Amino acid sequence: MNRVQFVLNGSEVNLPVHPLKRLIDVLRDDLHITGAKEGCGEGECGACAVLVDGRLVNACLVPVGSICGYNVVTIEGFRQSSRFEILKDSFEQAGSVQCGFCTPAMILAAEALLSRNSHPSEEQIRQAMAGNLCRCTGYTMIVEAVQLASRKGAGLW
Amino acid sequence: MVRTHHPDSLKEALSIRGMEKVTVLAGGTDLMVRNRSWSGTLPVFERDVLFIGHLEELKKIREKGEFIILGASCTLAQIMHDGRVPEYVKLPLAQMASSAIRNVATIGGNICNASPAGDTLPMLYALNASLQLNSEQGSRIVTIQDFITGPGGTGLQDDEILTEIHIPTACFSHQYYKKAGLRKANAISKVSFFAVANSNHNRIDEVRIALGAVAPTPVRSREGEALLAGLEIEALPERFYDVKACYEQLLSPIDDVRSTEKYRHKAALLILEDFLLNVLRSHA
Amino acid sequence: MKGLSEPIKRYDFDEKVEGRARYCSDVYLEGMLYARTLRSDRPRAKILEIAIPPLPDGYFIVDKDDIPGKNSVPIVYDDEPFLAREAVNYVGEPILLVVGPDKQTILDILAAIRVDYEDLEPVLTIEDALNCRENFIFQDRPHFVEYQYTKGDINGAIARASCWLEDVFRTGYQEHVALETQSVLAFLEEGRITVSGSMQCPYYLKDALVQALNWPEDRVRVVQLPTGGGFGSKEDYPSIVGVHAALAAVKSGRPVQLVLERGEDIRCTTKRHPSHVHIKSYLDHENNIRARDVEVLIDAGAYAGLSSVVLQRLIFSVCGVYRVENLRVHGRAMATNNVVCGAFRGFGGPQAFFAIEMHMENIAQKLGVDSLELKKDYFLRRGDTSSTGGLFQFEIVLPQIIEQIEEISGYSQKRKELSGGLGWRGIGCSVFFHGCGFTGKGEKDILKTRVRLVKRSASEIEIRVANTEIGQGAATTLCKIVARALEIPVEHVAYIYPDTDLCPDSGPTIASRTIMIIGKLLYDCALEMKEKWREESLEVARGYTYPANLSWDNARFIGNAYAEYSWGANVVEVEVDPLTLEINVLGVWAVYDIGTPIDERIVKGQIDGGLVQGLGYAGMELLQARQGRLQQENLANYIIPTFLDFPPIVSRLVENPYENGPFGARGLGEITLVGAAPALALAVQNAVGKPIRQLPVSPEYLMELMCDE
Repeated sequence: MNRVQFVLNGSEVNLPVHPLKRLIDVLRDDLHITGAKEGCGEGECGACAVLVDGRLVNACLVPVGSICGYNVVTIEGFRQSSRFEILKDSFEQAGSVQCGFCTPAMILAAEALLSRNSHPSEEQIRQAMAGNLCRCTGYTMIVEAVQLASRKGAGLW
Repeated sequence: MVRTHHPDSLKEALSIRGMEKVTVLAGGTDLMVRNRSWSGTLPVFERDVLFIGHLEELKKIREKGEFIILGASCTLAQIMHDGRVPEYVKLPLAQMASSAIRNVATIGGNICNASPAGDTLPMLYALNASLQLNSEQGSRIVTIQDFITGPGGTGLQDDEILTEIHIPTACFSHQYYKKAGLRKANAISKVSFFAVANSNHNRIDEVRIALGAVAPTPVRSREGEALLAGLEIEALPERFYDVKACYEQLLSPIDDVRSTEKYRHKAALLILEDFLLNVLRSHA
Repeated sequence: MKGLSEPIKRYDFDEKVEGRARYCSDVYLEGMLYARTLRSDRPRAKILEIAIPPLPDGYFIVDKDDIPGKNSVPIVYDDEPFLAREAVNYVGEPILLVVGPDKQTILDILAAIRVDYEDLEPVLTIEDALNCRENFIFQDRPHFVEYQYTKGDINGAIARASCWLEDVFRTGYQEHVALETQSVLAFLEEGRITVSGSMQCPYYLKDALVQALNWPEDRVRVVQLPTGGGFGSKEDYPSIVGVHAALAAVKSGRPVQLVLERGEDIRCTTKRHPSHVHIKSYLDHENNIRARDVEVLIDAGAYAGLSSVVLQRLIFSVCGVYRVENLRVHGRAMATNNVVCGAFRGFGGPQAFFAIEMHMENIAQKLGVDSLELKKDYFLRRGDTSSTGGLFQFEIVLPQIIEQIEEISGYSQKRKELSGGLGWRGIGCSVFFHGCGFTGKGEKDILKTRVRLVKRSASEIEIRVANTEIGQGAATTLCKIVARALEIPVEHVAYIYPDTDLCPDSGPTIASRTIMIIGKLLYDCALEMKEKWREESLEVARGYTYPANLSWDNARFIGNAYAEYSWGANVVEVEVDPLTLEINVLGVWAVYDIGTPIDERIVKGQIDGGLVQGLGYAGMELLQARQGRLQQENLANYIIPTFLDFPPIVSRLVENPYENGPFGARGLGEITLVGAAPALALAVQNAVGKPIRQLPVSPEYLMELMCDE
């Protein structure tokens, strides 16, 4: 069994797992980090999305062997940040959370977008987050939250 | 249990490829779905896996003469955000999958999947792209048409790795892409249409059209393009039926869970008609 | 104190946004085993033999012989087995489970199991079922239930009519796609079984466990965990997976987790019913609509499930918001060897309102009048009677709803302009209702609703109900109702995820009943508690009483089919791509009377979400059965709306408080979905000039229509 090493939420992880094991399984089963959810296992719903070197990726499509040495951030890490506080507040104000199953990945998708484009247009938000499915909200209240965060978090992104 | 290889260089990757039959994995966004098993269990790969997504040599984008050269492990996002890559190359990329997938999926992977609905393929066909295939023995260049042999089938030999995509660059007066997908984002194509053209003084110099998802491989008609080359714009309507016939005979779409044979056929021809009779004429 | 309807922070917000909420699959118990289900791959077959390989230590097979009690799901007809008996009746029917510690080993065991079938002639479509003369799936008939009701003098009205207009409409399946798939976890503790997981109706599952295990009720406990969406999918299906997990836990003596994969969830769980609705309207010499004769057929699938109740709601709704005095409505839920259909937000309403709204449009077109004007002429008013003859005792605010929707959408003006022949653009307006709560006297006769409110101290009030928070905001809304009634800060009121050890059976979380019925009972409890507020700690309970002003004859379907209704209108504007015939929705407007909104932000969330789910149903979500197999079995092929598919929705409420609802609230959850499909289909019909007769309105369907010149 190979060992796989990467940085998770700021801490080094070094595990004896098969390199083809999906990142989501390593997070959830091996490390009991459960913020990333499995909604489809095929990269269609985005509920398992995490940040790898700051970019949004679907953890169900990533063999852990392909991210050796990378920085992985899940909601468990991101929720320590001041950017998270702004997003959290905005999600509350805009009413972006219902069942909550898509929410951790939505937050990370918003972070991935805002970190590249601190003032996205509505269209850019919808484009950037289109890989994250939500069956509860109809999306507009999430778009509004990202707009709100973009305004309130001036200078943070 | 299959083994995995993490070469440090292309040379090492080619040497592994030369020694044993392995599955090459660049981004893995397609392979991980195709081979997925129950969550919590390993995906099922029949052969050992060779990771190449991390190889810096395959992640470069460069200009060389009249070509833009894309490393096979460049992600779709990387290509989309690279200022050197012409906009017409990016047209289909922006409508592919989702941002999270574009961050991982590679252009080489999309080509080697050789899906009839593969979204980069019509673009590469129309732009006369060619591919560099390397092995320990050396390298060869093949055209995209020669490389793609059928649904899922390519001319890639067991000891080869697709390393580079060579796209001749040019100025086009028209660049056009239209995709009918299952929905507006993150959708597999039901029909796709890519075209570039040059016209001036009401005369068409050159048109190149490729259609996806309407036949086992993307469709391009040299005959149709020849009928269009040199044509006066005003003569397009009367020539249209001959041109349409050239394409029509190449269409052999299927009924599947995503669409119907009839829809794919009709929509493809309607888009062709619109491109030739409206787009080409109005912006000439 | 804030105004009642002003939004407050969601009760469950922090744990969800921080990723701390523990959904079922996030829970790991020491020594936990996994279970995976072997399912039928035949639509109809006898099981001749099941050959099982030798099992490694610690692995178990759970099949029908492991059910000590009754092997049937307790729901209406009790005809569906938890695990297949001697035969299978649909692709995906559970046969047995393999249980053990290592998932790969479980897969290997499953791969080695051989099932020998003797295939039987399957019934694959509604038409097949209609032609069925022998070898019935259910008892001695091709359908599970057949209903008919009439109103007025239907035969006389038909005889006097000068002409009739008829339409046939078809709708397809819809899959819920709750982002969290069916997930349960079962474990034994001191001789008791606990099943926890994702669900809407904890007591349905408890009843199922009691029936399957044949254990006394006090040895069975059900606890809801944070639930990643329901929409009806977690009404009755958790009874099946919950019993599976429990049987496995009993047999193995270990905790067992059963989480369905997405493909499995699509393949096997319940769906919205496909329907055929044939409507005939009879007109007199002055072109007044005098009578309607409606024939409804739904594909119920292989087992009766909830189809009888869905069919009831469909046939009670299919005459729409219109006053037509002479009616005959006949409906049948056909038995087929397709996946079992069941509850889905709207529960028969979407099929009904699609049919009637399209039909009214077609009548108007035939008569050369504006369809909304025609509809207005027939709008139900207070004092009218419903299709089943129940008196509408309260104000019906349809005129105000139409006034509002005109104001925000400019519908009539746009409609005039678009009929001017711009081409490929269209606008449509649907008008609809949704009956709140159980059909007929179900609240009283079927349920034994009890709610409890507990005062631990002046700042610790606990709501004890079995109604679940599934994303719709029930926890927040119920807390708000109680806090407001007690005039205390909402932070002093706690909602706990239902636990059958602690919470009385307040009935299922379905039928838009949670706020109107349970909220009202809690409100009443709160008022009583307020009177006794001096007591340090106390408990107040309430049960449901059937209102004296209502009546219902369930044998003849006469009377108040619903205690009260919510009302609404939707406008959708579209453009259709002339090349690909893809529908681009340009605008969506919605106005509802849901009584008083308890929390405007939660209400908006329901409106947006329900409409988008309804628009998906209308235009995108194609799910077809071929030879009993669903064709679109993953989320790449069964497509639900993304961020990009629909524009922001403009919505308004017409506040018309309902006197028997808490602070005047009526039902909300379902009506948001019900009107979307007809509004979109009407807009497309307006855009392409061809009658739309089926859902979803896919580009492929439009291509067929446009090529049928």
